[in-house]
Amino acid sequence: MTAEQTTIPVTAEAVEDALLSFLAERVKASVAPDQDLFGSGLVSSMFAMQLVVHLEESYDIAIIGPELKLDNFRTVQAMTRLVLRLRDASG
Amino acid sequence: MREQLANERALVGELVGDQPGSWDLAGELPIGLLHKLGAHGVLCAEVPAIYGGLGAGSQHNGELTACVGSLCSSLRSIMTSQGMAAWSIQRFGDQGQRHRYLASLTSGQLAAVAFSESEAGSDLSAMRTQIRACGDSVVLDGQKIWVTGARYADLLVVLGLHGDGAALVVVPASAPGVRLEPVADPLGCRAAGHSHVRFDNVRLPASSLLGGGGQSLPLLFTTALCYGRISVAWGCVGIVRACLSAATAHARRRQQSGKPLAQHQLVARHLAELLVAEQVATRVCEHASRCWASASPDMVVAAVLAKHVSAGHAARSAATAVQVLASAGARDGHVVARAFRDAKLMEIIEGSNEICQLILAQHALTIPE
Repeated sequence: MTAEQTTIPVTAEAVEDALLSFLAERVKASVAPDQDLFGSGLVSSMFAMQLVVHLEESYDIAIIGPELKLDNFRTVQAMTRLVLRLRDASG
Repeated sequence: MREQLANERALVGELVGDQPGSWDLAGELPIGLLHKLGAHGVLCAEVPAIYGGLGAGSQHNGELTACVGSLCSSLRSIMTSQGMAAWSIQRFGDQGQRHRYLASLTSGQLAAVAFSESEAGSDLSAMRTQIRACGDSVVLDGQKIWVTGARYADLLVVLGLHGDGAALVVVPASAPGVRLEPVADPLGCRAAGHSHVRFDNVRLPASSLLGGGGQSLPLLFTTALCYGRISVAWGCVGIVRACLSAATAHARRRQQSGKPLAQHQLVARHLAELLVAEQVATRVCEHASRCWASASPDMVVAAVLAKHVSAGHAARSAATAVQVLASAGARDGHVVARAFRDAKLMEIIEGSNEICQLILAQHALTIPE
């Protein structure tokens, strides 16, 4: 963990904001928190895995097995819920 | 790591010996050898110790993969498949599935991964294979092509559509409804046991569905492929090393016009290019393995870069080595002749040159101006 990562506050708002800016930077489009990323074709096959690895690294969680279900990644809100749930489970 | 790697290399060297040429000609690997290497955990060395594996890091496994790749790309292909299967199970399986299947894969059972279809290679939207829930069972229907190692496999890890997403399902090769058709006379990796596989109404317990299924198709695909690409990339490093070694040995010994080939300038340039290829391919693979080890989001692109660069160098290096050895290497079974055919396939599988370039171009466009 780098100093930068440990200082990210893990509230729903903070996770959602961080994800929105990560997405805006990587997919070069502004994304709404409830937008279906897969349905809108914004998430490429390459990017889906980068998202998983990014979340794991940023929030010190392991997203494996059944947690890799599509529904957990469909929207920024869904990913935010996933992060908070996995952090609660490990904390 | 160094001592363990030396032991593993010695084991591989001892079991493989000078047989790859005859395996290539026969188009078959001895299955006993595969079971033995599998039981040592060498075929999927990154499986963590808690699941019975060697717990090797990406770079350690990479060097081991290059070692196998320098001897025999058919055997290295088996290693790539087994590793992709293990990684997919580790990533997508639940705890029980991980323990059950990874214990099998590190104790001698062999696995292949069945992804490609005749209409669906890189275009996932064309995938047709279906996994349907049916009470306590799942039913699998579809056709997969060019499944590496299927001929030897006990288990097939099959990608299919499932619900509104996709899933990986672990299928015993002996299950009713599974039919294999060997790929006849492949251009390269001739002993890798490539087969087309048909699944007709294959009924399996729901516990065969990794993580309960319903996952994202691109995510499943890219996750498995990312491992596969790093593995192929390191395998290509092995091809380049075998070519460098064969070409320098020949150029030192063979006399022409009263001096060794190596002292003819145009031949010396070939040797320099082989050395450059070996160094460049190694460095780009080390970079990908470091990204993998540090769980950097960049690992996805780094794996594509490594695969693309290494496969290109392997193909060019093999052509160069055949040129240097000339008639001494121009027969099937010879290390440089095998490299020539095997390396060409490496420019096609796990993302062709063109697909890799498209991905890299997309990545280039995300870099800030």
